[in-house]
Amino acid sequence: MDAVRCGHVAVVLALVLITGCASTGPVLSVSGQGAIPTRVDLEQTPFFPQVEYQCGPSALATVLSASGLPVTPADLVPEVYLPGRQGSLQPELLASARRRDRLPYQLPPTSDAIIAQLADRIPVLVLQKLGAGPWPGWHYAVVVGYDVESQVFLLRSGTERRLEVPAARFLATWDRADRWAVVVLQPGQMPGTADLSRYIEAAAALEAVGRIDAAGIAYRAAAMQWPRDALPRLALGNVALTRGDFAAAESEYRQAIELDRGNVAAHNNLAEVLLRRRCVSAARSELEIAKELAGTGPLAAAVADTAARVLASGNSDEQGCPAP
Amino acid sequence: MFKRLTVLVSCVAILNLGSPLVAQAAVIGTLQAAGQSSRAADLSTISSALARHEVREQMVAFGVEPAQVEARIAALTEPELRTLAGQMADMPAGGDALAVIGIVFLVLLILEAVGVIDIFKKFP
Repeated sequence: MDAVRCGHVAVVLALVLITGCASTGPVLSVSGQGAIPTRVDLEQTPFFPQVEYQCGPSALATVLSASGLPVTPADLVPEVYLPGRQGSLQPELLASARRRDRLPYQLPPTSDAIIAQLADRIPVLVLQKLGAGPWPGWHYAVVVGYDVESQVFLLRSGTERRLEVPAARFLATWDRADRWAVVVLQPGQMPGTADLSRYIEAAAALEAVGRIDAAGIAYRAAAMQWPRDALPRLALGNVALTRGDFAAAESEYRQAIELDRGNVAAHNNLAEVLLRRRCVSAARSELEIAKELAGTGPLAAAVADTAARVLASGNSDEQGCPAP
Repeated sequence: MFKRLTVLVSCVAILNLGSPLVAQAAVIGTLQAAGQSSRAADLSTISSALARHEVREQMVAFGVEPAQVEARIAALTEPELRTLAGQMADMPAGGDALAVIGIVFLVLLILEAVGVIDIFKKFP
């Protein structure tokens, strides 16, 4: 097959297939969103015209470059392109960003979420479904702006450096791709509007694939952003424990408990770190609290597991242990 | 493919019979604490080893360079591996928009040429 290119043709396709999404009234609005500008154009966002079917590598290179990493689509092809599918899969795009110590943050499925990122000058990687039936026409693009007055979104898409798409049309193609939208952040950078559990989940994925330092920086930023929440502190404790830094882990777990006395995981993990320090008495008293809090809840099994380890550890207390 | 998967699942299940679940680390992970993953949900899906195996095979089948496969798998989280396992042929693969466009355009052009439709009015 000849090399085909996204780009102009893609626009034609979109026009041909998505006519008739007539909607009354503006679909793109920023009212009620505080200090959100009515027009954004992230002109500085780099552009990598797509070759062949490789809009995945192109779109990913765009957002990675915008996050300050010098990377080209050619660098990414071996990481995200699936020749047999002539395309790229969403999890692999996220994975590739993580391999570069970037934090991919998946947005809530609302157009407001996209607008909030753009207002914060962060371009948004999106999946669109441009086709129909046996030719779904999945396509990755990067949203780099919008204009409320003319009701358009601005995209880096295919071979188009600055593609203006009517807002209704863009939102329809995005909706048909299950509203998948991601921003790629430097560790420690917060998205336009951030949700604690989404952010922690994104950072935990970095931790899970061994990018411990990047995850730690993200958790620290989360602890700053949500100073009253115990979860970032617990996460920081876990990172410290992975690194074998017992003192830091203990301090983080104690801060988590300070913020949330009923936090089962923090009590349990504090018991574990005390155990590793050979402070069995102190570990035991932490665990008593954890057990009582856990009850028969989802964390009960993990607490029981720690309890078994404490039981098997005898009674030795090293010098310098905290009082039980 | 489905048969083979069934056999594999059975093998793993049988091998696991009578043996305690792999000892869990006593540390409660961040996601677990956040309530994002529960043991019940984990147990209801295939094991991560099986998912890894499945994804590895499919990546090779879809033409990924063998030298790249391991690094690509290592970069995926366990939930992602489970999502991919068995679904790599069906998941959205962004990139093939062009083929659609080409086909649609061609069909329109043919219809125009044989006089069924008349939409390219600006053509001379």
